[in-house]
Formats: sequence, structure tokens, C-alpha cells
Amino acid sequence: MYQPLSLLDRWIQENNELVNKCKQERGRDSSNQDSNQTHLRCCSSEFHKLLRKIQGIPPTADREQLELAVAYNACVCSVAQSQFSEAELLLTQATERVKEMAGGDPGTSDSLILWRFALRSVENKALHPWVLNLLCLQWAIWLATCQLKTIQEFQELSSLCDVLCGGVGNGSRNNTGGIPLLVMDPMRLTELLQICTSITQGAESLSEGWSSEALFSLQAASILPAPRDLVAYTHFLSGCCLTHMSRPQMALQCYKQALETDSCCVSALYQSLLIYKQLGNTQAEIQALRLLYSTLMLPSAIEPALAETHLLSPSLLLSSQSLRSLLSVPSVLSVLHSLALKCVLYGRVSEGVEHFLDLLATIHSEDQHVHGEVPSLPKLPELYLEASAALLMARRSADCMVLCSEVINKTLELLPEKVVLEEPEESSGDVSVEGDSKLEMLLWAAAAYLLQGHCYSQLKDWKQAVTQYTRCINLLIRVRFTKRCSTQIHIPSADMDVKGGKDVYILQRLKGLSLAGRGISFSQIDQLKNALRDLQLSLQAIPECEGAGLWCGEVLWKLGRSQEAAACWERTWSLTTKPLTESLPVYLQESQSGPLLDSTELRHRVQELGRT
Amino acid sequence: MEGRCAVESWIEFGYPAASSTPRVTFGFGADVFICTGSNEIYVFNVLKRKLTAVLCFSDPVADLVESHDKQLLYVACKSGVYCVSSQLLHRAQISSAAAPSSPAELKISSEFLVIAGDGISSLLLVGSVLLTLRQTNTSWLLSPYKTPKQAQSSSYEVLSAVSLPLLGDTESKAGLRRRTALVCIHCGDATPPPSSPETSHGHFRLDPILFKLLFGVEAALAKSPVILCSLPDGRLCFFPLRLPGSRLRVLHSLEQPVVFLGASVVMEPGPGHSYCLVAVGEQGRVVLIKSEKEFGDSLAGFTEGCIPGPVVCGCVDENNLYCSTGSDLLKLDLSKGSVREGKEEETSSNTATGLQSPTSLNVCRVTAITVSTHKTTGVIELLALSVRGQLQKISLPVRTEDALAPKMPSTQMGRNVRDLLSAIGDVCKRASVLKGAIKSKNQILRHLNQVLNISFLLVTNTNTEEHLTIQEKLIRCHGTTSWSRLLQRDSLNLTCVLDNSSPYVLERGWTLSITAFPLSCPFTAGGESSSTNFSFPLHTLHPGETLEVVLPVAAAGDTSFPMTASCSLSFSLTSLLGEAAAASFPGLQSSCISLPLNTLTVDWLHTLQVSSPTATLKTPTCQFRWATDGIESFLSSRQVRCSGRESASKPEKYSARVQVSSELLRDTLKSLKGDSENLSVSILDWLLSEGAGGVKMGHHGDKIAFSSSVVYAHGPNGATVKLTAKEINVGEDSTEQEESVSVVKVQVESSSIAAVCGLHHAVLCRIQALLQRAPEKAASIKVQILGLRQALERAETQQNQISGAVGVGISTGQVNRLLLNVYKELRDNPLLII
Repeated sequence: MYQPLSLLDRWIQENNELVNKCKQERGRDSSNQDSNQTHLRCCSSEFHKLLRKIQGIPPTADREQLELAVAYNACVCSVAQSQFSEAELLLTQATERVKEMAGGDPGTSDSLILWRFALRSVENKALHPWVLNLLCLQWAIWLATCQLKTIQEFQELSSLCDVLCGGVGNGSRNNTGGIPLLVMDPMRLTELLQICTSITQGAESLSEGWSSEALFSLQAASILPAPRDLVAYTHFLSGCCLTHMSRPQMALQCYKQALETDSCCVSALYQSLLIYKQLGNTQAEIQALRLLYSTLMLPSAIEPALAETHLLSPSLLLSSQSLRSLLSVPSVLSVLHSLALKCVLYGRVSEGVEHFLDLLATIHSEDQHVHGEVPSLPKLPELYLEASAALLMARRSADCMVLCSEVINKTLELLPEKVVLEEPEESSGDVSVEGDSKLEMLLWAAAAYLLQGHCYSQLKDWKQAVTQYTRCINLLIRVRFTKRCSTQIHIPSADMDVKGGKDVYILQRLKGLSLAGRGISFSQIDQLKNALRDLQLSLQAIPECEGAGLWCGEVLWKLGRSQEAAACWERTWSLTTKPLTESLPVYLQESQSGPLLDSTELRHRVQELGRT
Repeated sequence: MEGRCAVESWIEFGYPAASSTPRVTFGFGADVFICTGSNEIYVFNVLKRKLTAVLCFSDPVADLVESHDKQLLYVACKSGVYCVSSQLLHRAQISSAAAPSSPAELKISSEFLVIAGDGISSLLLVGSVLLTLRQTNTSWLLSPYKTPKQAQSSSYEVLSAVSLPLLGDTESKAGLRRRTALVCIHCGDATPPPSSPETSHGHFRLDPILFKLLFGVEAALAKSPVILCSLPDGRLCFFPLRLPGSRLRVLHSLEQPVVFLGASVVMEPGPGHSYCLVAVGEQGRVVLIKSEKEFGDSLAGFTEGCIPGPVVCGCVDENNLYCSTGSDLLKLDLSKGSVREGKEEETSSNTATGLQSPTSLNVCRVTAITVSTHKTTGVIELLALSVRGQLQKISLPVRTEDALAPKMPSTQMGRNVRDLLSAIGDVCKRASVLKGAIKSKNQILRHLNQVLNISFLLVTNTNTEEHLTIQEKLIRCHGTTSWSRLLQRDSLNLTCVLDNSSPYVLERGWTLSITAFPLSCPFTAGGESSSTNFSFPLHTLHPGETLEVVLPVAAAGDTSFPMTASCSLSFSLTSLLGEAAAASFPGLQSSCISLPLNTLTVDWLHTLQVSSPTATLKTPTCQFRWATDGIESFLSSRQVRCSGRESASKPEKYSARVQVSSELLRDTLKSLKGDSENLSVSILDWLLSEGAGGVKMGHHGDKIAFSSSVVYAHGPNGATVKLTAKEINVGEDSTEQEESVSVVKVQVESSSIAAVCGLHHAVLCRIQALLQRAPEKAASIKVQILGLRQALERAETQQNQISGAVGVGISTGQVNRLLLNVYKELRDNPLLII
């Protein structure tokens, strides 16, 4: 009788030593993930070894407590290493042992029935809490493998929390001598499981369209005791539900709450940004973008800031696909690009320029490497052109010219002598696959020349400006249209879905802008006839071009054709002047940097002409 | 001029594993890393030409790459990537310098493991990023790892990996590890980052136009290096490293496993850009990727060609592609197919010829190769690993085409001329050495031929010895005895003359050896043969020449006659090869052939010193003049006087007699010496002067004319001998006077019984030899019968005497005397020899 008792004590001692060692190691260096993993592996094998030793003899009531405790410890280690099948095997073995001890046979291998049987067989016995502990782990495995239905079916789980909080927690803490220790407090585990289940269920039902139900359960979950980041998730998901229910303001409140709970909840920031965009609140959007960017640049933001204090991390339990898609945020580069573009388009040019330069510097830095797919980022030459357009707007002509010449240098040797635009619908398919199409490159180079022309006209170097504009035009006329295309030319627009159509639109726009620019430059060096011709051609290409219209009138006026000039001006004024738009690349927008005409003075002239 | 490749084998590592791909890579300084596919990497120092270290890993080595600052070596094994610092290597090398014969051996344990992972097949280092290529179950995975700034730290953070699905299901069998390659292509106009020098292994700077055509303007704008990898399924994939959102995309497919991937400058004077990408497939397909102009537009041209046979490995230098097919090393001149603007049609045909007419370099069994060009000399050298695991340096022939000549500056020209001249000098020296070797070998062969001829001659001699007399032998020895006096001691010398009458020359290496031993040994010697060897190395003995050697046979007082001198010629193989060469064959030292010539016999007759009859009678003691000093001579004379007194009282004189039919003698002697009136004189003359047994008697002083039939002489033991020849008629004294036979009786008389016996023996031997030559003749039976009857009678009485002597128990002294009497009687009454 003496012998087995001492054996039991020795095993308990061994288990407790292992648990203490495990906790110490985790406490020492939680930063180094690698060493943690190896340590975990080591612990896991030790627990498994111990468990095999204990299971070597038939179960008895007094030893069963220890066995279940060791099984719990081994199982936690396995789950922490994402070895779910191994963990499940352990659990099945444990329930078998319980069944063996209690006697009786449920007559099935279905895990749900087995668990119910095991629970019933130990009801009101000392072993009950220990079986419950193991059940917690079964729950964790179900959650990690997204078996939400099973969790819902197993009603007993909901009551688990109360039971655990009530009894065992106190018992295990009081006398550590004779009772085996556990690597993770079952009560904490239950709390964690509860909130993670709520979050996952909320995300699933949201993705299935049950927004209001999801909202209800999520709001209930948000008051559960849990780590801050998980609570922030409940707020965030509530916001998502509200967005789906078309209540943007309430959603914004939820996001705000999420951010207040956990300042690193970038998905909340991103979602609120989308709402601002939807609401048209540009300044708030820019603000949100700026916040998002700075949050993403924080070192902790790359990894989800879920605390690794527990053996079982929440990220292990939150594996639902729909939750992940909700939580996903675009990459740093895309955020930076949108921020820069927004700034440029909405009047914060200098800030936008800085962001653009940051973006280019990041791309060129040696440390920069691929961060997966970045679909929203435009191609690099377009990025260059946008940046140089921004620089032009900020009146940094020299920098603009450097960027443009970079694009020209890279593309010039590859430019085709002739491009035939035949059937844009068909050619669009394979063009995008094979990298840069010839036409794309040609348009990039032309745009770069156009921007350089703008630069020179900003510097009032008209001859150089004419040269650059001419280069642009020469490139553009390499593109020929077949008949089918040319019939459609008069109705291109930026909104066209077909890529080829967009190319045609960009082409027309470039042609119009470059001709206008050259026309204006000619008018400055008193080559009025050339100026008139170019401006008129420009107006053919882009009838709504304001600068071309006004300057055409001016040239006509100078040529003494005042009536025509007045008509030209009137027509231009009749057009609704558009502000900068996001639908069009920023470098294709009408330049505000060239010589400007004073409209009031022109109106005055028209009035005087009318009087005479 | 197509020269030949010089192949110099440096070291041998043993056969590489069959399924592996051996590699030869240039490393830290003059070190070359060689892995044969086993668990080991060999570090070979090119300057010292010696294996300096061996790195042992736990798994087979798949690939290795060194860091740009040459401080670290990354090695991909089956279990992952190891990182070895060069300092560790140097330390090991220094510690092993104490024992310079064996290289340092470094066991690389798992503590050097920096990236764990199975199936990594290729490595590449770009700046601080280490790229690994591995095959998983479903895809190829290219994973960049950030290497730590400090060498000691071991945190290798994986950046996001890109993957490409596997093609088909055949290659999912992970058992066979096929080769992959990773190279890094930099855009030519991008300024190289300082951390990654363009010269490092696997990095190429490509012509900007081609770069943009292949990899896009975006990669060029981002100044991103592009990773190009070749897969065993034949696909060439590229991946811009620093371009946001880029994927691993397929550039081209060779449809056969890619063996080599590289870039070549192709004869452009540009600043070191590569103008051409080359990929070589296992079945010999070669793809050149160049920029081409078509209707004014630049295009990336993929030109395919095929070289015969499976390709094992390849490498590329500025102009040429080198491919080993296992049986040959082929050189493909890539510049032949270089693109010239505006010659589209020619281009294609040019390229085809350039690819289809590879130059054979005649080096076979190469499994791994790398180029090590010495920029200073312009000599292209390849480092190759052969199938047998030999590290070889292959020096390519220096191109002397005109196309190259004008480009060379005069200083280099001068240097080239100097190099050429010194090379010619080397060749000349070598040629003369070879010529000398051939000459000496010819000499040896000729020598051997002579030796063999002589050997055959002598062997046939011995086989047919019974048929040939001495005179008929072509190489023979004959001798002359003579007495000489040296330091007041007389000795008998045998002058041996080797007569070469064969048509062959006896050259150096032959040795004449003569063994002299007495025919019968004195009892005191206890039966041991007291033979004496003399050898005389010959210098050169031309046909017809003779060699005379003198050897002492006996000193005065020595009576062990007759003496036999057997001559032989021996030849030692050592002399044939020369001392130095023979020393390398220890077994050859003692080997020599020995061929017997003929045997000379020196008997008592040869040793006689004939004195003039008068002198001999007057001074019977003059034989003692050879006494060494006065005391001895005095003592001797005293002794003789005493004995003389004794003999006077009891005159003991022994004699022996031989009777030969005078008719027989006359016939034979006539045939030898011509007619002679006095038979008894002439027989003495013949006995004392004729050479018998190949030995003649030498006479010092004037020739004694044997006028009388009595000759006095001294034997070698100093005894006075008297030889008498007398012609008598046998049968005169017989009763029946029917027939009497004339007989020559030769009588030997001396006071020394040894002299009598010896002389008797000698005389009998000579007569025996004489009779062998005698013409056959019917002898008179009657005389014989008479003689026989007498002999029988005597035999009876003698037998009686002997039996009487033995039978009665008398003392031994009496027995001896009795036996001596019988002997004397036998000697005195010989049978008549007819």
C-alpha cells in the first residue's frame, strides 16, 4: 500500500516541477519566439512521457486526478503547437480512461456522446472539475478548427464557465502540496474561449448576412472579462454589423470605441476610413489615413498585438476565414499612396509631395521587400508620374524634371515605332499578363514629356517647353487607329471599364493637353498662327479643356478676331469647370501651373466688345 | 591556330555520389570550395595548390554561397542552411599548419544551423538577403531571409515567400533531387549597392534594354535586382526582389532540366554589362536571350540551338559558353551569333551556326566547371572536377586570332611575346629531355639485344658442348701458367685469356668470373671445397679482341693440384638501367644472368719448373731458393741435409710409369707436331709444352730445347722430379719372339710421392686426351694378350700381398708400407696403351 502512494507523490512532484519550469521559461523571455517554440516542444514531450508512465497502470480514483491533470498539461502544449489531432487523441484516451474507471459503455465513438457520458459518470465526484478542464480543451480544439456548429450543439459548454469559476479555482489554489499543478489556469482558458467563440460566431454570422443577430451577441460579449485587444475586436465587429445595417455614424462610434479600447486596432481605423470616404468627408478621411499609416509604421502593428502571455494565444483560436477578411488592412505602401494622392488632390500639395517622396524612398530602400500582393498600388512609372505631377504643383520643377527623365530614360529605348490600336477589347487580356505593353510604355513616356513641358512653361522657358510638348506629340502620333476604333473616339471617357478604351481616352487627353501646352507656349513667343492651330486641335481632342479654350480666345483676340475670341470664351465659360478628380490620374489633369488668364479681365473685354 | 588545352590535375577527392551535382565555387581569396555531393566541402587553396580544410556536415551538401564581404559561408544541406564564418575556417587552417600534410577537418554541428528546412536546393545572397529555393509538395518556394547585421546573431527573419506551383505530377516524387540554379540579375545602368559587388558569384549585370524587355520597366525603375531561377522542369522564372506586389513569373521554358544559367558579355566594349542570358538544358538545348531589333522596335529574342549530347555542366566567360558532355568539353562562341543592327536575316543564321558548331576542347569526364580568368595574362583557365573526383585546371589555348591583335596594347603584346618565347623555351627543354630519354632507351635496347645474342650463343654452346672442342667455341677462355716471384715468394699465376671471336661486342655490364677450385681436396680441409672466385668486369670487348687477366692459382708449397678454373660470363641488369633507375627496383639489385664458358684445368705438368739437366744434377737443393728469408732457407737446407742423410741411408725413390705404343704416339704426335725423329724427346716436349685442358705452360727465360729424353724439374712443392721417356720393345724379353711392339715408356721419378702421383695422373690424362684424337687402328691382339697375361699375374700376386697384409694382424705402419709397395708396383708396371 505504501509503494503506490509514494509513486503517486513522485509523479505529482514531477508534474509540478515541469509546470513550474514551463512558467518560469515563459516568464523569462516572452520576446523570442523561436526559443519559446523549442521550449514548448521540450515541455510537451516531457508531459507526454509522464502521461505514458501514468497510463501504464489501470486507473484508480485517487490516481485519476493526477492523470487527468497531466493529460490537460500535455494537451495544452500540443494545442499551443497547433497539433490538434495529437491533442484530440490525448482527449479521447483520457475519456476512455474515465469510462474505464466508472464502468459502463455508451456504445458509440461519437465524441459528443462520449463527453456527455464521461461528465455524467463523474457527476458530483471529486473528479468532475478535472473532466471539465479537459472539456475546455476540447472546446478550444473545436474553436481552432472552426467547428462552430459542434460548439453550439454542446449546450453544456455555456454552463462550464459558471461551474469552473465556482469550485475548482479556489480548491487548486489553496493547497498546492497534494494537488497537481496546471500549466494554464482553466478559468482563464474558459474566459478566453468564451470571448473568442463570440467573436468568431459574430464574424461568421456577419458574413452570412445575419447582422442584427451578430450585433446582439457581440455586444453581449463586449462586457465579458477578456484581454483588451479581444474586447476591441467585439467593438470592431459591432461596427462592421452596423455598417452592414447602413448606420455609418453608429458604426463610427463603435470603431471609435474599439480604438479607445485598443489603440492598435488598425482594422477599425481602416473601416472608419472607408466610412468617411463613403460619406465624402475628405478631411476626416485624410486624417484617418494619416493615423492608419502611422499606426502601421509602429513596430508592433505588423504582428497583431495579441498578448502572448498565455500559452494558448487568441490568434490560435481566432482562425475563422471571414474574421480574417474583415480584419485585413491594405499594406503600408498602399495606405501611403492613397494618403499622398488624397493630399495632392485635396489641396495639401506640399504634404502630398512629402508622402510621395516617402513612398518612392521606401520602394528604393534596400530593406524593402515584397509584402504580398499590393493590388491597389499603381504601376511604378505611373507612381513616378503622379509624384512628379505633385512636385509640379508644389512648384518644384527641377525635382519634377528629374523624375520625368527617369521615366523617359527607362522607357525610351523600348518604345515602338508604330502601334496599331485595333481591337482594344481583345488585346487587353494578354497585355496585362505580359508585363508592360508597348502602348502603356509609350503613354508613360508621353506623359513624362508633357510634364516636362509643363515644367519648362512654369519656368517660362518657352522654347524648351515647345520642344518637350512636341516630343510628346510625336510619340502620341505613333499610335494609329483602325476604323473600328476611330469611330468610337469621340465618346471615350475615363470611366470606361475596358482597358483599351481607357488607353484611348488617356491618349486623347495627352494629345489635347500637350497641344494646348504647345499652343500656349507658342502664344508666349508670338507665334500666334502656330498657337492658334495647336489650341484648336487641342480643343478638338478635349472640348472641355478650360485653358485651351481661354487661350484660344486670347490668341484669336490678339489676331484681331475679337468676335471669334468672345465666342470662344463664352463657350468655355459655359462649361462646368471640374475640380481635380480621382477617376483620372493626377498627371492627366489640367495643369494649373502654366500662365493664367484673368477671367474677369476677359469678361470685361467681352463686355466692351458687346458695347461697341 | 587551334591549340590544345593543357590539363593539370591538382588533387583527387574520390568519386562523387552518383545522383548528386558536384560544384566548384571560388571562395575566400584563393580558396576554392569543392563539393562532390557528399557530406563534405573541400577547401582547396589555388596558390598553395593544397587542400587546406574539409568541412563535414551531417547531410549531403546541396549548394553553397559566400557572403559579399567573404566573411561567411552559407551551405545548404538536407536539414537546412548552415552558416560558417571564414574566421573559423582560418583558425582551423592555422591550427592545422602544425601538421601540414593533413588538411584541417571541421565538423559543422547543428549549432551552425541558421535556417531549418527540408529540401533546400539552391542558395543566393543578395545584399543582406539570403534567398533559398526549395521544393514543397505542391510548389517551388522562393523564400528571402533577412540576415542579421551581426554575424553572431542567429535570427534569420523570413520575409514573405513567393511560390510557383509544380508542373504535372511527375516531379512531386521528392526522392530525386534535381538541380536548380539561382542567379541575380542587376540592371546595367543601376548603380550597384556597395554591399554587393557585382563580381560575386551568381550576380550579373545585364544590358538595361534587355533587362527592361525581360523584367519590365518597373523593376528597372525600382532598381530592383531580379532573381532568376531555373527549375528541373525546364522553366526559367524571375522575380523582382524589391518591387512591391511582384510575383514569381515564368520567363521561358526549356522543356528539359536546366543545367546551367548564366550571362555573357558577348564581345561588346561596354562597361561590363552582360548582353546575353544563356540557359543550357540537360539534353543539349541552348537558349540565348538577347535584345533584338525588329522594324526598329526592340524585342527580347529567344534563340534556341542544340549541341550534341547530354550536357553535364556548363559555365560562361566573357565570350564563350563551355559545356561538358561528359565525353568532351565544348566551347561555344557566343559572339559569333551576336546581334548586329539591321541584319535580321543574317542574325538568325549566325546564331544558329554559332550554337551549332561548338569547338571541341578535347577534355573529357568533366562534371563540374567554373571559370577563373586571369585578367592580367588574358589566359582563360577553367577549374573542373572530373568524374573521378579530380580537381583539374584546364588552361585554354591562347587565342592568336587577328581580331584580337589590334586591340592589344603594345606592352601586353610584348608580354605576350615574352610568354610565348618562354613557352617555346619550355617546350624545347622538354623536347630535349624526351629525346635524351628515348636515346637512352634505344641504347638500352641495343645493349639488351647484344646481351641476348651473346646469351643465346653461350647457351647453345653449353648445350652442344660435347660436340664442340674448345677451339670451336666463339667465346672462350684459355690460360697460361707461369711462375712469378714477388716479395721473394714464388707463386703460380694463371693467365686467363678471354677470346671473343663472336660477331658481338661484349659491353659494359658483362663480368668475367673465374672460380678456381682443386679437383681433389686434401684431407685436412675436411672435404670443404676451397674454391676461390675472381671476377673481372669487362669494359668493352669488340669482336676479335681478347682480354687477359692474371690470377694467382697457388703459392709455393701448395700441392692441391690439379686445379680447375671454371670461367663464366655474367651480366647484371643493374648495369643495363644505370644506378639511379635500378635503385627504384629493389628486386632488380641482385638479378643477373650467368652463362658458363669453359673450364680450364691446371695439372702437375703445368706447374713444373723445368730446369736444365746439368744444373739440376749439380745443385739438387737449388729448389730452395724461394725460401723467404735466410733463416728459413738455412733451416730448410738443414732439414734437407738431414733427410738427405736419411735418404742416403735409405734411398726412397718413387716412380710411376706409363707405356704407350710408339706407333700410336707417332701417328698422333705427327699429326700434332709434325714429323719428329726422336719419339721419346718429342713426347716429353709435347707433355711439357702442349696446352692441355686449355692451359699452356708458360716458360720464363729462354725456351728449353728438349734434346734429351730426360727432363729434370721442380714441382710446386719443391720436390725434384725426373721425367724420362724411353722407346723400348715390348716382347723382346718374351720367349715367343713372334711379334714385338715398340713402346714408349714415360717414367716419373721423384722422392715426393705426391709429385709422382700428380704427374702420373697428369700424364695419363693427357695421353687419354691424345688417344681420343688418335686414328682408329687394329691393334695387335697378341701383344695385348701378352700384356694382359702379365697384368693378371701381377694382380694375383698383389692381391695375395694385400690379403696377406690385411689378414695377418700387423701394425698399421706395416700395412701402409705394404699398400704403398702395391701401389708402386702398379705404377711401375702399367698396361701398355696401344
